[in-house]
Amino acid sequence: MRRCRPLLGTFVEIECDHAQAMEQGFAAIERVHRLMSAHKPDSELSRINRFAHLRPVAVSAETFEVLERALRWSRLSNGAFDAVHAGNAALGRGLIPRHADQPLPRAAHWTWLEVQGACVRLLKPACLDLGGIAKGYAVDVAVAAMKQAGAAHGLVNAGGDLRAFGVGTSPVTIVDPGSRCGGVAHVELRDAALATSAGLPAECGLSFDHLAGIHPGWVSVTVRASNACDADALTKIVWALGHRSAHLLAASGAEAFAIRADGSLEAIGEQALAA
Amino acid sequence: MSTGPSWYSILPVAVVAAAVPAPVTATVYLSIEDAQRAMFPGDRFIPHPIAFTPEQRKAIAQASGAQPYDKVQRIWEARAGDKRAGWFMVDRVIGKHDYITYAVALTADGAVRGVEILEYRETYGGEIRNPKWRQQFVGKRPGAALKLDSDIKNISGATLSSKHVADGVRRLLATYALLLARA
Repeated sequence: MRRCRPLLGTFVEIECDHAQAMEQGFAAIERVHRLMSAHKPDSELSRINRFAHLRPVAVSAETFEVLERALRWSRLSNGAFDAVHAGNAALGRGLIPRHADQPLPRAAHWTWLEVQGACVRLLKPACLDLGGIAKGYAVDVAVAAMKQAGAAHGLVNAGGDLRAFGVGTSPVTIVDPGSRCGGVAHVELRDAALATSAGLPAECGLSFDHLAGIHPGWVSVTVRASNACDADALTKIVWALGHRSAHLLAASGAEAFAIRADGSLEAIGEQALAA
Repeated sequence: MSTGPSWYSILPVAVVAAAVPAPVTATVYLSIEDAQRAMFPGDRFIPHPIAFTPEQRKAIAQASGAQPYDKVQRIWEARAGDKRAGWFMVDRVIGKHDYITYAVALTADGAVRGVEILEYRETYGGEIRNPKWRQQFVGKRPGAALKLDSDIKNISGATLSSKHVADGVRRLLATYALLLARA
């Protein structure tokens, strides 16, 4: 069975032959959607953006975990991954709304965010955006919920952040979204996660300069990791740091490649060194 | 997890004649009947199609910012016994290139109860004629997955096509408010 619902600002597809587990998987993703949407004024994320500069905002275990993971990747990557910077940029471009009582951001980066004992504080007004990590996290909690409901295998794909679990491999094709050059790669995924982050074709009238320090000549970056949350965050880090992300990939047992504008592939990380 | 460079491979691209129209691939998730059963289990469905007048189209566009694509909106009333359980609407929006067909279930008082994608069609360029690439669409074994919408996304993670579905749902809610709420 394969179902698809519009969630997390993208299409979430779940494949599983256990109907109850599939519902549990979607329910888990809907919960993450409710908690971490920047568009809903009453989501936990929006409450952080509205109030956490005034007083500590208590959050659920899920939001806490995503923020912890986001901060961890910010530290490890020296700010290449930064939910505060990303939020400021998204707000500036009108991609996420500023809610009625939400202050203009004054903090430029992640060091102004503090997460302690399930409470979140902002040392200055800031606008967090978890778009770079929450989709991957949602995929992971869906997989956990599906396993708990008794599914032996399945696949969850949230608009390119995907994870397969259980027996058997899932063939995945990575399409270059600009796709005039036909750059297409193939991965057999087995009990692992895959995330792809792509630039936008210029002819859509959009640019991909939001990805800081973008590597010239690449149209997309794909990371394979043991979980989708890390794979999701690492795509942004690989975009920003290029081959300098090799040690971070290695430390989390992840691997990556880029599709170049001419459709060829470029290995990143240990394999690139070995080659 | 180090398996060397072989964990991914490049798919060769077939050279194609420009005159051949771009093929369309469709992923079908649910038929209308399956979606009805999934969203309103055990209920009966009474067709309630609406053929829009020009005035109605205009009113919907004014309320929601978008005109309906279809001349006739496919709508069913879901009934549990002799009570109205809600409304079931089938609609389509343009995805990246082609139509996405989806179903929306509304409660009897017009709140969204669920959204399911029924069919996702996309037109591709030349790469689709590569037989190995085309194979991906056949779904020849369980677990076969295809990453279609991989990543036209902006920083907040919203894909353009999913925004179109969100806009479509808003239009259906306007359709409900104008034409069904008092039905």
